[in-house]
Amino acid sequence: MENMVAESFKYMILGMGIVFAFLYIMVLVLQTQAKLIAKYFPEKPAGPAGGASTGVDKKKVAAVIAAIQHHKNLGK
Amino acid sequence: MKKSIVAVLLLFITLFATNAAASGHEQVAQQTHAIEHHAAVDSSEKAVAHDKGVWELLKSFYKTTGLYAFTTPQEGMVNGEGEPVNAFHQTWGRVIMIGITLLLFYLAIAKGFEPLLLLPIGFGGLLANIPFANMTADHGFLGVIYNAGIANEFFPLLIFMGVGAMTDFGPMLANPKTALLGGAAQFGIFGTLVGAAALSQFTPAFDFSLQDCAAISIIGGADGPTSIFIATKLAPDLLGAIAVAAYSYMALVPVIQPPIMKALTSKEERVIVMKQQRKVHKLEKLFLPLIVLGLSILLLPESTPLIGAFTFGNFAKESGVVDRLSDTMQNSLINIVTILLGLGVGSKLAAEKFLVGDTLGILILGLVAFAVGTAAGVLMAKLMNRLSSEPINPLIGAAGVSAVPMAARVVNKVGMEEKPGNILLMHAMGPNVAGVIGSAVAAGVLISIFN
Repeated sequence: MENMVAESFKYMILGMGIVFAFLYIMVLVLQTQAKLIAKYFPEKPAGPAGGASTGVDKKKVAAVIAAIQHHKNLGK
Repeated sequence: MKKSIVAVLLLFITLFATNAAASGHEQVAQQTHAIEHHAAVDSSEKAVAHDKGVWELLKSFYKTTGLYAFTTPQEGMVNGEGEPVNAFHQTWGRVIMIGITLLLFYLAIAKGFEPLLLLPIGFGGLLANIPFANMTADHGFLGVIYNAGIANEFFPLLIFMGVGAMTDFGPMLANPKTALLGGAAQFGIFGTLVGAAALSQFTPAFDFSLQDCAAISIIGGADGPTSIFIATKLAPDLLGAIAVAAYSYMALVPVIQPPIMKALTSKEERVIVMKQQRKVHKLEKLFLPLIVLGLSILLLPESTPLIGAFTFGNFAKESGVVDRLSDTMQNSLINIVTILLGLGVGSKLAAEKFLVGDTLGILILGLVAFAVGTAAGVLMAKLMNRLSSEPINPLIGAAGVSAVPMAARVVNKVGMEEKPGNILLMHAMGPNVAGVIGSAVAAGVLISIFN
């Protein structure tokens, strides 16, 4: 019982050491991973551009549909 | 002609009926007489029990009411688990606990404090304090739930799986260094472990074992499922108090953290603007759960139940091919488990479990743990800001305690107060999700020490 504080102090050093070691190694691995992925699997810049073009397509489609609809209405 | 036949038949039926009734009365009268006679001769309780007048019936019914139970404590009363319950816990204790559960409802409903958990926990507590119903017994409603998933630490793991499926590690991957802040905040756990040990060693008021201290200090990790997981492993008797304290302080993040953050930082530090985060590759996110799990297998297998469930949830999310499963983990499954977890934890809010001296100690130490965790995160961020070439706003260190995403939001709010337009939310999310990993690692350390 007397050395409860001393005991817990040891746990503190051990615990914080492991938590930091874990996270530090994780940080190193993640940084390495980021470099490797950037080198071997570069992100295609076409990604967002493609998205934008489909947006335009949708607008075009909507415009065409509207035009046809309008034409039909005029025909009636 | 026909009418007269019907009349005669009716007459006969009436006569028979009267006769039968009369003989019935006679029988009853005879029986009563016999019993009275018997009672007069024997006067044993059993015989009297057969002869209850309306008044006696009412009296014995009254003895089964809650009103009677709340006002008249019984000698040698045991709870559902067969443990003795003293007179105070049977009467005022229950009333006080019902008051506390009503307070939890108020906090959950009117104040919006963690309603998803405080409401089921509060209701479980309300049910646990009902006399006679014994819902916390092994075959009672709450007892079944408790044994099904809390006693064996199953529900916290399922919650962790859902949390994993909800967590986006993008901000942490964009700036991995900030993960260290999630480690610093775990000082709240280990610092409080020492504090709790010192308290029980040097003051007569508290008498926690080292295991109890460890279970209490985990509140500093600000991680509900982890707290419940550790508490059921190391100190099941303290579970109710630990869970309520943990969730209450997590709900109080916007109140507890800002003063600590402001006290430890200067105005110049609080207005630091951080660099825009880089875009994170999809593969980085996909590999992250595997890396984290791999590291924990190598370094700390004891923490793999928590980290395993967490990384499985996250992997399912980031894989992008099992949206249905990931969706279930994030929504239906975590909702179901939250209901069960809340009710099960509530079962530990029975008066005889909660209204003990230890609870007060847990509430105080939990608050200290939480404050120390916040402070350690901020101080670590200050240090990193000095050492690093890129500017780091020390406020984001406060998000190192888990409490996702509340702590990050609070950081963002405090930052905006100092400098409108300085959005720290994404920068704070990094330490925030790292805090979840950090507290799972810390939990693994505690388990490996005490198991």
